[in-house]
Amino acid sequence: MIKSDALTRAWVVLIALSGLSAVVSTMMDRGFDTRIMGSVVLALALMKARIILSRYLGLADAPSWRRGFNLTLTLFCLLLLGLYLFPQL
Amino acid sequence: MTEQTSQNLLEELPGDLMMWVLIISELLIFGAGLVVFLSLRISDPAGFAEAQSQLHRTGAALNTIILITSGYLAAIGLRLNLAAQRGAARLALIAAAALGVVFLIIKLAEYADKAAQGITYDTHPFFMFYYLLTGFHAAHVIAGVLVLLLVAWRDTPENIEMGAAFWHMVDLVWVLLFPVIYLLA
Repeated sequence: MIKSDALTRAWVVLIALSGLSAVVSTMMDRGFDTRIMGSVVLALALMKARIILSRYLGLADAPSWRRGFNLTLTLFCLLLLGLYLFPQL
Repeated sequence: MTEQTSQNLLEELPGDLMMWVLIISELLIFGAGLVVFLSLRISDPAGFAEAQSQLHRTGAALNTIILITSGYLAAIGLRLNLAAQRGAARLALIAAAALGVVFLIIKLAEYADKAAQGITYDTHPFFMFYYLLTGFHAAHVIAGVLVLLLVAWRDTPENIEMGAAFWHMVDLVWVLLFPVIYLLA
């Protein structure tokens, strides 16, 4: 049997996170605080990137590498968030 | 770190080491592009927001779903090949490539719409980076489609693993590019 359950779950979660991103961006258009909504959009992007690394690229089986990639990606997204929020400070 | 530990770390990494070098290099290039894009936005946030409002978020969101699903099919293709189901694996890889073509058609329609509105790379710095980053990504999609078709033809597990890894990198770049270019107003 093909071991694809974790992969299929990852795909479903990625689709759900993408839908959530669309909902959040609509809320931004309707006047919700762009600082909060922007932070949520970036957090959702980070979650999607982590899932792609773990399940699609197989880093779930390489925990040391997964930790390194996740840490770097998290720091990168924090940098993007800082640059995004800077004009609104 | 001892030599043994380094060796174990390299053995832990799935797939080919050179493919990971390529993936990290590409992530660094696109990452630098996004950092410069948001740095430029600091000097003109209203202009960037106005320019961004000209983009079609729905088409780009649809393209996210398409790439994520295409990546899933490429990963399934590898699993099927490893399970000695070569025909099904090839079909999954061809379907993944076909979705890549759909992504490109939507992207071309988006560019054509911008051209019809008279929006070019020098309309605003936002659009210069929009065309640069999404265009460079689209070039990777074209390469990825060709690679997926190539590994569907020459379907050794090693080839498929490398081809699928390249495709997942394209997918990974898009999930970071999409929110920054299209959503962060």
